[in-house]
Amino acid sequence: MCFLPRREREASIYKSLLQIDLKDYIVSAEPPSPSQGLVQPYVQTSGTMGVTCVSQMPVAEGKSVQQTVEILTRKLELLGAEKQGTFCVDCETYHTAASTMGNQGQAGKLMYVMHNSEYPLSCFALFENGPCLIADANFDVLMVKLKGFFQNAKANKIESRGTRYQYCDFLVKVGTVTMGPSARGISVEVEYCPCVVANDCWNLLMEFMQSFMGNHTPGIPSVFGNKHDSIYSPGDTMAQYMELFNKIRKQQQVPVAGIR
Amino acid sequence: MAEGVLSPGVNLEAFSQAIAAIQALRSSVTRVFDCLKDGMRNKETLEGREKSFVSCFQESLHSVSRDLSELERLSNLVGKPSENHPLHNSGLLSLDPVQDKTPLYSQLLQAYKWSNKLQYHAGLASGLLNQQSLKRSANQMGVSAKRRPKAQPTTLVLPPQYVDDVISRIDRMFPEMSIHLSRPNGTSAMLLVTLGKVLKVIVVMRSLFIDRTIVKGYNEDVHTEDGKVDIWSKSNYQVFQKVTDHATTALLHYQLPQMPDVVVRSFMTWLRSYIKLFQAPCQRCGKFLQDGLPPTWRDFRTLEAFHDTCRQ
Ligand SMILES: [Zn+2]
Repeated sequence: MCFLPRREREASIYKSLLQIDLKDYIVSAEPPSPSQGLVQPYVQTSGTMGVTCVSQMPVAEGKSVQQTVEILTRKLELLGAEKQGTFCVDCETYHTAASTMGNQGQAGKLMYVMHNSEYPLSCFALFENGPCLIADANFDVLMVKLKGFFQNAKANKIESRGTRYQYCDFLVKVGTVTMGPSARGISVEVEYCPCVVANDCWNLLMEFMQSFMGNHTPGIPSVFGNKHDSIYSPGDTMAQYMELFNKIRKQQQVPVAGIR
Repeated sequence: MAEGVLSPGVNLEAFSQAIAAIQALRSSVTRVFDCLKDGMRNKETLEGREKSFVSCFQESLHSVSRDLSELERLSNLVGKPSENHPLHNSGLLSLDPVQDKTPLYSQLLQAYKWSNKLQYHAGLASGLLNQQSLKRSANQMGVSAKRRPKAQPTTLVLPPQYVDDVISRIDRMFPEMSIHLSRPNGTSAMLLVTLGKVLKVIVVMRSLFIDRTIVKGYNEDVHTEDGKVDIWSKSNYQVFQKVTDHATTALLHYQLPQMPDVVVRSFMTWLRSYIKLFQAPCQRCGKFLQDGLPPTWRDFRTLEAFHDTCRQ
């Protein structure tokens, strides 16, 4: 089950939702007190997201990450894209703590807690190939309280920061992926806002990416594969970022030429 | 100043003589009628009176004929104003020395240009309109312009039940299209058409005539804050703003005042072709995008997809 995140301003806590979706993992969470009154359901806001493709742009030969980002953004600007502020997507890794493991031999499951500046009031919790939970930003506080069950692997914190561009109905976010102090790679997120069914506009999206990524245009993202004609959701974008970050973490061992 | 312009074509001396000749002619003609009016009088004998009247009449007729031939002679001498002027004699208005006070000539030129342009464009428009089979004007079907205002009200007072039937029949015709009919403001129907997971269309009707249409994205809100269908605000996406423009063009194209249900059905059939808005490449250039937009135009007959700039 996957709710849509909120882009609107007012903040209220939806503890009841956390309770529903985390009941397998959370031993006890406070039920909403009746005095609190309004516990509104999550509603689909008018600004839901369009179909998005997240991919990695390899660092150009003989260039730094910074220089490659500059080449890419210059191409976008030449195309007519307009700068529209910045963006940030971050991801923290949690191990399921040993105390909750029924079977000692089983390896702990990893949970990723992510934030996206596009949804400042939301927090995303994902398992690999598993469900995606969208909660209020207070979820972070809850995770601290649950440190007996989930332990933060602080060294694994990874994030992508960069500039947001708009071109016609497309949103493009070119980010530098950093882990700790060092730049590890480049992420390119392309969203086609008017369309909500991933497979409907893949060809169109690809043609657009080719116009500035050339032969580094990615193949169809794996999350598109099991969507059929269902509505694309922000959780799908976070799953793509999670995959990308995992891929980049693995590249960590192999020193990549050109990264300074 | 005026002489300078006139002199090549016109002999001024002869001109003034001709004017004098006209005056002479007029006075001799007046004399003829005076003579007729006075009749026979002031003579003792009847014979004397007759004789003097006839001779007087004869004399005045002679002078008329003399003056007339003089005028004809002079008019040949006057010469002709330059005939190659595009506005012929009205071109002489440019010689009017009081130009600055009454800009008659420049206004005349302007009007002439406009009328020329109007004629040209009207010709083009009539050529184009004649190619359309369904058209707003019923002139081609032999209905005179005078009858048209009378024909419309009859279709404007169709019972709401009939409108409901037509719409629900269309709704059943296209499974991927759902039409929700409401009447928030009296008898006029408002349709909310949802096409697959591609777009939503707000259609404002007047009886069975489509008055206004707005296309929005599937994920866009079509209601105002108080829950009513929002018939005014446009889509946030450029692609749907473009499709809205094309849909408005389609409303003007699909017109057949005597059969409004056929018009609504044709329009909906055309609208349904947008189910592949993001999937169909342009039939001319073969690409998906042009200036960041997919092929937003659908041909009215073949329903093929084209970029706005790729259609003929
Ligand atoms: Zn084209």
